[in-house]
Amino acid sequence: MSFHPVGHPIRSASEEEGINLKCGGPNSVGAGEDVGVARRVAVAAVMVVAVCLLFWAGWHNLRSRRVAMQQAQQAQITVQKDNAPDAMPDMAITKNLVGKAAPGFTLVDLSGKKVSLADFKGKPVVVNFWATYCGPCQEEMPWFEEFTKKYAAQNLVVLGLDLEDGVTKDVVQKAVRKTGATYPILFADDKVGASYGVGDYLPVTVYVGKDGSVTEQTPGAPSKDEMEAHIRKIAGGV
Amino acid sequence: MRGSGFSVVGSRLLALAAVLLCGSAAVAQGIVGLPAASTGKGHVTFAAEVVEVAAGKPVVVELRFRVEEGFHVNSHTPKDELLIPTVLKLEDAAGVKVVGVEYPKGSAFKLPGNGEMLDVYQGEFRVRLQVVVPKGQSSLKGGLRYQACDSAACFPPRTLAVNVPVNGK
Repeated sequence: MSFHPVGHPIRSASEEEGINLKCGGPNSVGAGEDVGVARRVAVAAVMVVAVCLLFWAGWHNLRSRRVAMQQAQQAQITVQKDNAPDAMPDMAITKNLVGKAAPGFTLVDLSGKKVSLADFKGKPVVVNFWATYCGPCQEEMPWFEEFTKKYAAQNLVVLGLDLEDGVTKDVVQKAVRKTGATYPILFADDKVGASYGVGDYLPVTVYVGKDGSVTEQTPGAPSKDEMEAHIRKIAGGV
Repeated sequence: MRGSGFSVVGSRLLALAAVLLCGSAAVAQGIVGLPAASTGKGHVTFAAEVVEVAAGKPVVVELRFRVEEGFHVNSHTPKDELLIPTVLKLEDAAGVKVVGVEYPKGSAFKLPGNGEMLDVYQGEFRVRLQVVVPKGQSSLKGGLRYQACDSAACFPPRTLAVNVPVNGK
């Protein structure tokens, strides 16, 4: 950026010297010429000050923008953290069951048949709490279906426990048809939900090892890879 | 679609809405009048101010709701029949006649896993009522039924109390 005051073109030092030489030696310098030199020096000084001010203003502006940018980035990080899907794990699961025996239950499936967790003793079991109104729940159900087939040799069992008030069998069947799930779907009650520490936040999935102990509790729908990683822990590799 | 068929007469209700996760945010923001029931895990809130409208003829009253950041509720017309729509139900109050209810269009929301598209309300949304009110003090009472989710999980359906004091002139 340059600064050129109108009517006072910038001259180099040699140009200034050239003017003095052209005007003669010290003895020949008159009062009018002294005033002219002083004026030029004053203009040059003003220009130097102006340029310095411009540099200072630019540096100050740059520093302010950097600080503002840093603050904005910090604010963005905070917002992203607050909006993360797992921002409320404390509300999602009220009991830590990892390492403990999975609470037993006997519930009714869609055909009216009683199904107990104890029926699957010695097998890796996934207990998935879900609801028909829950989009993320239905998003993960086809993955469970896929993994029951993929890990069939490891005797993987998936149990879908519908946990919601006032739902009809027809609505549950519609949701199950939509997802393509063929594994047992059971009607859970609040007592079973409470025994697993499941609150209002669905889905919640509990992974139970062959020894009947809980290896993992996950609130919310994970990625498919995360889900399979949890399954591999209880079922072993393919 | 908003406003079609409705002649806007009188004033609008500009009801303040705020949203909470843990219940303290509204207090921190100095919002008054929030019902105690909405300060928990509701994710949608509404607080009414007195609205003054012309009595004895159809007027439009606009109710503002706000969904907590990071959450969404299904629109009034979700694409999937299994999803629970947002519905405002008003009681038949003495002298107040609700002629119509108009919901805003939803916005598209993509589930991260299978990419299913949902039709939802996020942030502020407004429900417009066409009402005929009597002279003097009356109120619009009812509830907004909705069901909230974030991108990974959902909460059960809830009903948020709505109580709007109306002054018919």
